Amino acid sequence: MIAGVNRFLVPRFPAVNERARTVEAVAAGVSAAGASALARTARAGTGVAVDGLRVRFGAREVVHGVTVGFHAHRVTALIGPTGCGKTTVLRALNRLHDGRPGVHISGSVRIGDEEVYDPRADVRDLRRRIGMLFQRPNPFPLSIRENIALAARIHGLWSRQDAAERTEAILREVGLWEAVRDRLGQAPFLLSGGQQQLLCLARALAVEPDVLLLDEPTSSLDPGTTARIEELISALRDKMTIIIVTHNLQQARRVADEVCLLLDGEVVEQAPADRFFQAPADERSRAYVDGRVG
Amino acid sequence: MRTSLRGARDAIFWTLCAGALLLVVAPALAIIGSLLQQAWPVLTLHLLTTTTAVDGLQNALLGTLVLCVGILVLAGPIGIAAGVYLAEFGPPARSSWLRLGSETLAGIPSIVVGYVAYLVLDEELHWGYSLLAGILALSAIVLPYIVKTTEVALRQVPTTLREGAAALGLPRHTTLRRVLLPPAIPGIASGLVVALAISVGETAPLLYTVGFSDNNPTPYLFQHPLGYLTYVVFLNATLPTRQEHQVAAAAGVMIVLILIVLIAAGRLIARRAARHAARMAN
Ligand SMILES: Nc1ncnc2c1ncn2[C@@H]1O[C@H](COP(=O)(O)OP(=O)(O)OP(=O)(O)O)[C@@H](O)[C@H]1O
Ligand SMILES: [Mg+2]
Repeated sequence: MIAGVNRFLVPRFPAVNERARTVEAVAAGVSAAGASALARTARAGTGVAVDGLRVRFGAREVVHGVTVGFHAHRVTALIGPTGCGKTTVLRALNRLHDGRPGVHISGSVRIGDEEVYDPRADVRDLRRRIGMLFQRPNPFPLSIRENIALAARIHGLWSRQDAAERTEAILREVGLWEAVRDRLGQAPFLLSGGQQQLLCLARALAVEPDVLLLDEPTSSLDPGTTARIEELISALRDKMTIIIVTHNLQQARRVADEVCLLLDGEVVEQAPADRFFQAPADERSRAYVDGRVG
Repeated sequence: MRTSLRGARDAIFWTLCAGALLLVVAPALAIIGSLLQQAWPVLTLHLLTTTTAVDGLQNALLGTLVLCVGILVLAGPIGIAAGVYLAEFGPPARSSWLRLGSETLAGIPSIVVGYVAYLVLDEELHWGYSLLAGILALSAIVLPYIVKTTEVALRQVPTTLREGAAALGLPRHTTLRRVLLPPAIPGIASGLVVALAISVGETAPLLYTVGFSDNNPTPYLFQHPLGYLTYVVFLNATLPTRQEHQVAAAAGVMIVLILIVLIAAGRLIARRAARHAARMAN
């Protein structure tokens, strides 16, 4: 299944293979030439650096100075007990708290070399570059076709001529094409919950984001669609930086390269997934993994 | 013993329910029935082909319809725009002032609105008896309903849709037009239906502002009075002949008919809205 997805991805993104190889070479600890190649391609791969992020709702601070790096072409799982601030952190990354009365944010969020909270930042373009999938599917009250093409057309990525072709490509990529090919003009509300979530993923991918934020994307889905989305996450890593919030530690083990544990609005530990699960550095991480917290 | 007691209690309960229903339905039926009975002898095509100058209602019916169109054209867009602003764009402090203003307007008796419109528009601005003055006065009365229903309809659209649109970097006007308005349209339309129903039934604000005319509506906005159905009911009831009373009743029948059409339209829209909501909830 993963192979199937990759086979489809590769021809459309010729840079992917090369980039992936470079990343592997550096990870294996090789030459300076390799490192500079990484620096070259690192511009294409956009990491996210969060520094001293604080979020306050009215008088109540919920996120207390979070500093964490989300590496390009890695899947980072953001885990922690309910109410610890995972969603709040995630929504700070694409400025989704903007305009909410009583929300105060300080600290820095950088995507690539751009400051997200720079007052001169183009918020709409930032949000295009940072895709988001929500806990519950939220398709628009438009046809399936328009759900996918609307934002891509608005951002000028798709033209009227190639919209149909690219819609099909995206739907094939998420594995929804066969199910919806005969009803592209219909409302999406008759699709199953899982299909709707895949549609929302397709909608997010259509605007070619560099970063993908996933907030418990499978918590309301059946095991089949969950597996499907996990496969896609693994495949998409070649194209983008992925941050997934999950309560499901098994899922974090399956898809994550990195794990970041959040407790009460503070980062307890960030580590490569293997190490985090086998030998967590912090006692609180061990307690959480063992199910003694949260 | 116990079952028969419960049976008796059920019987009493259902009797009371039926009684209550009767209390609500009976007056409506009585009114329609007596209107029909009164109007029966004059309910002919003649009513539609002659004006009140003779013994028909053509000018009054057309005038009422012209007023409805005026409300749709003027109060509709303004009310919807204000509701959209309150729901989507207004900063909370400013919105609450606007809301207060709108709710106050809704509380002002229509005769007062009519009198003020008369003083300002007909007298001060020398519009004379004027169609536009009537439409403005009626608009002031129905606007709060359109504003409120629009705001409520938009607020009922799930926040997750707004966030989904924001997360894609969609501009706010696109979000409004493509994502938020479609599911809100049934609610907005039902607000318009209520506004029209009120317009058809109002008399007081029109007495002062558009006066009355025995002629068919003219294309002039100023200096020309206009006929409308409620006036005929109001005036003919005070006239001496039996035939004039029958025409008054016929005008009442026409008002009721228009209301029934409007209510049916509202029902249709509400049913579509419910179906839409069911699909949204999935
Ligand atoms: N808009 C808001 N206004 C006030 N408080 C909020 C708001 N959003 C979140 N909070 C509070 O912030 C804290 C963190 O919430 P958040 O949704 O980020 O937690 P979470 O880690 O995502 O939890 P879960 O795993 O249950 O989704 C909670 O105590 C919550 O009550
Ligand atoms: Mg959450």
